[in-house]
Amino acid sequence: MTWREAAVAPRESATGAIYDLGYQGYDGPRLGRRAAVATLFWASLRAAFGLGRSGRSKIVPWGLTAVIVVPAAVAGAIQAIAPGGLSPFNYDNYLWDLSPILALFVAAQAPELVSSDQRNHVLSLYFSHALARSDYALAKLGALAAALFILALAPLLVILFASIFAASDVVAASGDQLQNLPQIIGSPAIHAVPLAALGLAIATFTPRRAYATGGIIAVYLVTGAVGSILSEAGRGRLSQVAPLLNPWVLLDGTRDWLVGNTIPDSPVPRAHLDLWVFGVLTAAFTMIAIGAVLWRYRRIAA
Amino acid sequence: MPLISTRSLTKRYGSSVTALDELTLDVEPGIIGLVGANGAGKSTLLKILLGLLPATSGSATVMDMDVATRGPEIRQFVGYLPEHDCLPNDVSATDFVSHMGRMAGLPAAAARERTAEVLRHVGLYEERYRPIGGYSTGMKQRVKLAQAIVHDPKLLLLDEPTNGLDPAGRDEMLDLVHRTGTEFGIATVVASHLLGEIERVCTFLLAIDAGKLLQSAPISSFVERTGTLGVEVEEGADALAERLVAAGLTARADGRSVLVDCPDERPYDIVRDTVDEMGLALTRLEQRRHRLEDLFRVEGRTDDVA
Repeated sequence: MTWREAAVAPRESATGAIYDLGYQGYDGPRLGRRAAVATLFWASLRAAFGLGRSGRSKIVPWGLTAVIVVPAAVAGAIQAIAPGGLSPFNYDNYLWDLSPILALFVAAQAPELVSSDQRNHVLSLYFSHALARSDYALAKLGALAAALFILALAPLLVILFASIFAASDVVAASGDQLQNLPQIIGSPAIHAVPLAALGLAIATFTPRRAYATGGIIAVYLVTGAVGSILSEAGRGRLSQVAPLLNPWVLLDGTRDWLVGNTIPDSPVPRAHLDLWVFGVLTAAFTMIAIGAVLWRYRRIAA
Repeated sequence: MPLISTRSLTKRYGSSVTALDELTLDVEPGIIGLVGANGAGKSTLLKILLGLLPATSGSATVMDMDVATRGPEIRQFVGYLPEHDCLPNDVSATDFVSHMGRMAGLPAAAARERTAEVLRHVGLYEERYRPIGGYSTGMKQRVKLAQAIVHDPKLLLLDEPTNGLDPAGRDEMLDLVHRTGTEFGIATVVASHLLGEIERVCTFLLAIDAGKLLQSAPISSFVERTGTLGVEVEEGADALAERLVAAGLTARADGRSVLVDCPDERPYDIVRDTVDEMGLALTRLEQRRHRLEDLFRVEGRTDDVA
């Protein structure tokens, strides 16, 4: 008897509408560790945008997404109304100018992904399933990086489409703009991975969400402020390289090195360094942060 | 092939705390009670079997797989109900149990189907669509059991499954555990410091104390009838004992009870008549069995074991 037949067949001598399906075993496929990691990645990516959660958890991610897209959309609209006007935004400076939005997203959503599992001891359930500890850490890192990539890509795509459709010759404009594709894809990617690693490295060290958010913001503020103070107050070489303390400057230098052009108001050119130095330093702090996350999850009690 | 097998398994926390001390045991499938006082090493043993904790020395296998090297493989076929809270607040039981099913390797459709089934089995109905944060302790405990069996494990490790439940909730949970072990046919290890619970649902008993194995035997060997009749009265136990001795029985008072040796049927009538003649308020008349408590009484530590 299949379970469907069982479902409609009342138990023998049943006096009412009591249906007893009995316990069914499971003989189907067990997909194992890789499938579990993939599932955790997608579930966490959805959680980063509050999908499948209460309306309250959607406010911050969608609010920030709106805020990061709006300037690009407005600039695009102005271009469409008054063609030929110079837009204040381009693929190079957009993420630099709107970096606080990315920072807030990390500060709010990195704890969203990891704090509650720690605070509610859900980790012991994860680790008692097919996942290894490092799998959990990497799935969460990947999910946060993917969320940041989407967040950073969205406004650049708006700029792209605005430029294409504001042009008099759409076909020619498409051809021109598509040459910028490495920049449009590369710049968000360069920002997403290091920011996700840094954010999670801080967030995993406390089960308290508020502390994690505060810690992430504090790291941005302190590194930025110390960098600025040293570059203002210091002299000579020190004042030139001090901005490298700020992770955002490193990210901008890396972007400059790999996919873009120099932004006039960025401290990068003033450091008088080869651009690859920014790339190496960014890679270094990213690796350290990923290492810290993995170390933390190897140690954490479950 | 034993289900679980350990050889000189030792776990030390730091240099001073020894949770498991050269533990060697073999466990066959069934409903196994793992009993011991708080801190005896029950949770530590379960966590080592899951591969959640590394052992300090010694070895352990589950279903013939070494826990140190084949953890992820073992965990596909093991369900675990931790002692402490382990549920998120902001997701529903349906979403959570199904998510955990997928973490155990079930395909999405199978995870959904089995979630509906196990939630019905543990007795969660309409409330399963509400966030877990609003559940009672009893409901949360059911969700914990549901997530442990959603992937149809071959082995179920339950760490204090009745933790925090009221007496009615305890009974229901124990029934569920018993059904899971018998009707569902899942080999189950129930860790508890409550001997009474172990006695009710388990077929085999492992008693550990201070990380050492105290006893390992079928539960029936502990609860055989002893041929002692316990007569509990409101008051006057001492006087009753004297009268029974005078009537030629072997009897002694033990608190509010009188323990009477019953080699045959004869003492029953005498006890009944004597109690009646004395006009005592009889509260209980029972055949005494060997109690599991005796295990621990020998060791001189009954404090935490009730």
